Amino acid sequence: MEPIVETFESRKKHMCIKGEGLSIPVCDKASLPGTVTQRTCVYGGARIILMPITDSIHLVHGPIGCAACTWDIRGSKSSREDLYKKGCSTDLGEKDIVFGGEKKLYETVIELHRLYNPGAVFVYATCVAGVIGDDIKAVCKKSEEVTGCRVIPVQSEGFQNHNKTKGHWIGCDALLDHVIGTKEPEKTTPFDINVVGEFNVAGDFWGFKPLLEEMGVNIISTITGDSHVDEIAQAHRAKLNIVQCQKSSNYLVKKMEKKYGIPSIKVNFFGLEQTVNSLREIADFFGDPEMIERTEKIIEKGLQEVEHKTDEYRERLNGKTVALYVGGNKAWSLVRAFEELGMDVMMSGTKNGIREDYERIKEAVRDGTIIVDDASSTELARLLKKYRPNLLISGAKEKYISLKLGIPFCDFNHDRISAFAGFKGFVSFAKEVDASVSSPVFDLNSTSLRGD
Amino acid sequence: MYHDKKFSVVNPSKMCQPMGAVQALLGLKNAMPLIHGSQGCSTYMRFQLTRHFREPIEVASTSMNEKTVIYGGEYNLMKALKNITEKQSPSIIAVASSCLTETIGDDMAGIIRKFEDANIDRELPVIVPISTPSYTESHVEGYNRTIKALVENLVIPTAPNGKVNVITGFLSPADVGEVKNILNDLKLEGIILTDISKNLDAPLSESALNLYDGGTTVEQLEDTANSTGTIALSKHADSAGVFLEKKFGVNLISGPLPLGLENTDSFIRSACQLADLEIPESMERDRGRLMDAMVDAHSYNYHRKVAIFGDPDFVSAMTRFTSEMGMIPTVVCTGARSKRFTEDIDTISREKGCSPVTLAGGDLYDMHREIKRVRADILIGNSYGASIALEENIPLFRAGFPIFDRLGAQRISTLGYRGGIDFVDRLTNTILDFYYDEAGYEIVEEELEDVIIEDQEYAEEEM
Repeated sequence: MEPIVETFESRKKHMCIKGEGLSIPVCDKASLPGTVTQRTCVYGGARIILMPITDSIHLVHGPIGCAACTWDIRGSKSSREDLYKKGCSTDLGEKDIVFGGEKKLYETVIELHRLYNPGAVFVYATCVAGVIGDDIKAVCKKSEEVTGCRVIPVQSEGFQNHNKTKGHWIGCDALLDHVIGTKEPEKTTPFDINVVGEFNVAGDFWGFKPLLEEMGVNIISTITGDSHVDEIAQAHRAKLNIVQCQKSSNYLVKKMEKKYGIPSIKVNFFGLEQTVNSLREIADFFGDPEMIERTEKIIEKGLQEVEHKTDEYRERLNGKTVALYVGGNKAWSLVRAFEELGMDVMMSGTKNGIREDYERIKEAVRDGTIIVDDASSTELARLLKKYRPNLLISGAKEKYISLKLGIPFCDFNHDRISAFAGFKGFVSFAKEVDASVSSPVFDLNSTSLRGD
Repeated sequence: MYHDKKFSVVNPSKMCQPMGAVQALLGLKNAMPLIHGSQGCSTYMRFQLTRHFREPIEVASTSMNEKTVIYGGEYNLMKALKNITEKQSPSIIAVASSCLTETIGDDMAGIIRKFEDANIDRELPVIVPISTPSYTESHVEGYNRTIKALVENLVIPTAPNGKVNVITGFLSPADVGEVKNILNDLKLEGIILTDISKNLDAPLSESALNLYDGGTTVEQLEDTANSTGTIALSKHADSAGVFLEKKFGVNLISGPLPLGLENTDSFIRSACQLADLEIPESMERDRGRLMDAMVDAHSYNYHRKVAIFGDPDFVSAMTRFTSEMGMIPTVVCTGARSKRFTEDIDTISREKGCSPVTLAGGDLYDMHREIKRVRADILIGNSYGASIALEENIPLFRAGFPIFDRLGAQRISTLGYRGGIDFVDRLTNTILDFYYDEAGYEIVEEELEDVIIEDQEYAEEEM
């Protein structure tokens, strides 16, 4: 049988076609050394979970590079503080590597607390902090006692695992162990919820927050988009967790269910149909007739507001193909939204997927869809060249691979510029997809100067 | 709100050594850069570089994980070399270490030798180890060490070639291109270390996804020992030049970076002196045009206060250039703790009669604090300066790395007379846009304040 694309023998089973034998690719394996992996480290995984907490200082305990390359890159918006955007580092030097960095870490935490009086200081362990054996937990405890401010250790040594999913879990653990359940809400209602796995990238959360409020649910906390640490501290009193990014945050809601008995619902606010379903499911969970009625009205109004607003785009996008190559969640949560635009998802893949993620992709896509795990940049380029989708959805590192091949691209990651969630978000989504797919610049390549 | 601080870095103005290594390696032809470390190192560096240059950036990783950290990285490094050799067949693999692999004590040179010995019967790429521990110095030193490692490992002294080695430091592709243009004008053959001019400003074509077919070649690196001299445009990247001078008697001229009139004069003189050439008359025309541009612009720039941040040689050269234009540098900041930088600024200050606050090893927090104290009318630096400029209500003139919130970072041109002309025009236009009204009149301070007060009142009414 012809391979999906030419690659290393050991990599061939990381790609499959739904409906043809293997429907779930081999996944969650170490990347091959020497390839240009699109994956990142465990520290990166933990950081993207926690970084959107806006009133906190995110202090990277390591040499300067770990902070210098990653500060203020989350694309996560805030309606209040901007402390989370600061790039803070202990800037470990040679002496610290030899004699240990604990003292410097302590002094740095104390100093940052004096400068900013933050809601919390999250201290991230990097590779070197782990290798030299700094006891970050002890330093955090001590500086918390001295400052009276939450100082939270995040044990995210970068090398711990090939899969940054482990980093997501470590970020979630930091919240479970040190934040959630440490403060009681002033008032509770029967309709208290947490919005979990929503990072407010480009303001996505604001696309469906008003809908939830209008329904009559009370949002205790968002974990973690546009949040304050004190809000997350009260999350244990919610009656329901709704989970948007299930890739990063299923772990957290499962643990919260076990520890606090909070049930959860998987939601998806990308696309009209999914938004409608999600709102209904939340209302059904509470079973309050008035809420159910209100929700139907919200849905009716929401759909009415956007009716015909995407017609123009759909006309141009109809029948076009799209390839998804993302961190995890969007590999399944965007499929229906694209189908609503009349587009066909012909490939879906993730960099860090685990088996349960691929199960979800398999459920979401049609037969014949290529499913890819941990494609290196070479493999991705080969896939794009061979199957030539009309659009690639991926992140910054993949953008110019796609564009150089003349394949339109949309950034759905940190560098996204408009909010896509909710009813109105769907119109922005359609508009942005159209702006990529239908632009005449992609036809330029078929012209030539010397007319051959 | 802004205080002195001693321990923390807040909003860094430097990156780590392996980043400098990658910056240098992207100027090699048919090469594969490899970082021996965790996956995040190569991935986050690629992220920063790709959003700056708007080009695909390929850097391989040895993908270290918990097991290999405990037992040492030999297995992963050997495997990486094998995979790259077999699948990419580059002419050169350059391996930069990271904080992780330096700390666990991997002997990269030893592992590479072992790999070469095990494959003695096969044709292998040239493999160069580069020690770039992230916990010392900054990306500037990483760049320096990389050029040195490449030269040290590859030089083959044969016969004089009459060429001049030029170590550029990390410049924009446009600026490196201008270095080549100048050498061309002087009819002088150069070996550019390293030449990113084509690699990082590539046409729309699939071939951009292959290993670079432009850039400095292995043969050119071998040939550096035979050159007439070396000019390090960046003083902080001159170690390869020092090596070539000591070992092979190749004369070295270190700095300054040719930005502005005086520094460009000095570069042209150095190049001609090394190659024993008369300065051609044709140079005078562009030089005259730069002076003309500076005269045309003077009334808008005179005594404008400027704050500058970025790599040390860029900042010191820009300090001199803006002084030549009649501006007053008030805060100059680099992330590298460099004595050479402070010495340079002292010299410029004496010559030009200015006294900027000098931060060597400073971060953007420190710089912002000093701007609040001594003021600036314009800020020159990378995109990370945008929030400071916004808060201080001054324009940001984007130059340096990274620039991710505007297009064209590859084409920012500041070097030589011609780049200088471009810079003077664009800087002055930025000032015109910000401080002058649509009819060309200067907006007086009171008016500016009025606008702000009106805005506030408006905002209050809104509330």
